[in-house]
Amino acid sequence: MFSRKFDVGFKQAVAGIGAVAGIVFLIGYFGVRNEVLDVGYRPEQPVPFSHKLHAGDLQVSCQYCHGGAEVSAHSPVPTTQTCMNCHTLVKAESPKLKLVRESYETGNPLEWVRIHKVPDYVHFNHSRHIRAQIDCKSCHGPIEQMGVVSQAKPLTMGWCLDCHRKPEDHIVGARPISGIFTGKLHDMKHLKDSTYMYTPIKAQLGTPVALTEPAFGQWTTALPAHQVDGIPHPKVAGLGPENCSACHY
Amino acid sequence: MKPTFRTIHLFSILAVLAVGVFVVAVLSGNITWFSTEPPLEFNPGMDHQFKAIPQSSNSFFANRSSLREPLTGTVARNVDVYTLGQGDIDAAEIENVNPGLPKTEFVAARGQNRFNVFCSPCHNYDGKGESRVAVRGQWAGIPDLTRPETQALSDARIFHIVSAGQNLMPSYADKISTVDRWAIVYYLRMLQGVESMPSTSSSPTAGRASTGRSNLN
Repeated sequence: MFSRKFDVGFKQAVAGIGAVAGIVFLIGYFGVRNEVLDVGYRPEQPVPFSHKLHAGDLQVSCQYCHGGAEVSAHSPVPTTQTCMNCHTLVKAESPKLKLVRESYETGNPLEWVRIHKVPDYVHFNHSRHIRAQIDCKSCHGPIEQMGVVSQAKPLTMGWCLDCHRKPEDHIVGARPISGIFTGKLHDMKHLKDSTYMYTPIKAQLGTPVALTEPAFGQWTTALPAHQVDGIPHPKVAGLGPENCSACHY
Repeated sequence: MKPTFRTIHLFSILAVLAVGVFVVAVLSGNITWFSTEPPLEFNPGMDHQFKAIPQSSNSFFANRSSLREPLTGTVARNVDVYTLGQGDIDAAEIENVNPGLPKTEFVAARGQNRFNVFCSPCHNYDGKGESRVAVRGQWAGIPDLTRPETQALSDARIFHIVSAGQNLMPSYADKISTVDRWAIVYYLRMLQGVESMPSTSSSPTAGRASTGRSNLN
């Protein structure tokens, strides 16, 4: 019916279109996800600050600079004054710190590039998670090993819910480097071990108690009797809430 | 030896396979593809709303900062401002009074936690001064907090040094809350051996009505 030449051409065209459609499907289906697009976002910062040096080698705790995370929803980028606590003396003339010194003199903040961001209609509260002794590493990855910080986790809703549903499978317990208050005196010998966990989440949850979801509206937890006014006390471990209004309000 | 058609064919198949494996690994998230460019967003929706979120830039204001400067003379609510200067040693002895922190493991743990976060970079975890920063920067001037001279200082004076700073040490009043600074003083006394460590063996649930769950275990 058709010529041999047309037949071959038709087959080639179908194969070609199929291949292109396959590639488009592959990238569209697997590529347009935060796991691929957002993870690995590693912007250039105005000052080449190395978390590997400060947190990894010098063991400066996360909370020395990001201390507000313990008491507020937003984990603050430190003020320039925090840098200058040390850098008035250490490397005081370093050209890499020129912008820091200028910011300190003029009072204009350094414009760090934000990496981790959930959409504006999501309310993530740092203090609630830190007081549940969930380590920074759970969501930010091993920051103390990063010379330049990049996004390590997708920060999607499904990824959030993975932990809210099965925390014991995903969460890293509080490590010494994070400066998370556990309410217990700790042996100092573990302080330099970046893999040591004060509160491995399984132990924190306790094996015999099965986690059950409280009834709606019952998410309040009893205050410990040894609470002291002014000290942000650690919270009772439990499942994270799954209702929409917990994060979207 | 001239490569035969067969070997070239084999190499090209291997190359296509390798590229395919790489693409699949990237798409599945097993290999992280680093980029300095902001992530592509195919459906931004309401991800970026025109509102002031903390520490963000904001094109509405002239200096592009969401954070507004407080008026001159504004006093923050519920924040204890430490008003004494470094030299007001006599006033510090009178005005700095411990707010009645109980000497419990909980308070000692808080002191240890804040000491390790804010003091240990220079003073080291044991307070003796041979810290990571001191070793790396070859600093010799960091004092041993456990020596007898420091032990002889009053609690109020140590609180004053933490709050107002001394010599090269800056004030930490804006970083550490008042209660936490007193907890640090309490923990420092333990490092000095002046205070004994509270018993860690006692159950944190002891002495209170049992609620059936403990947040500390």
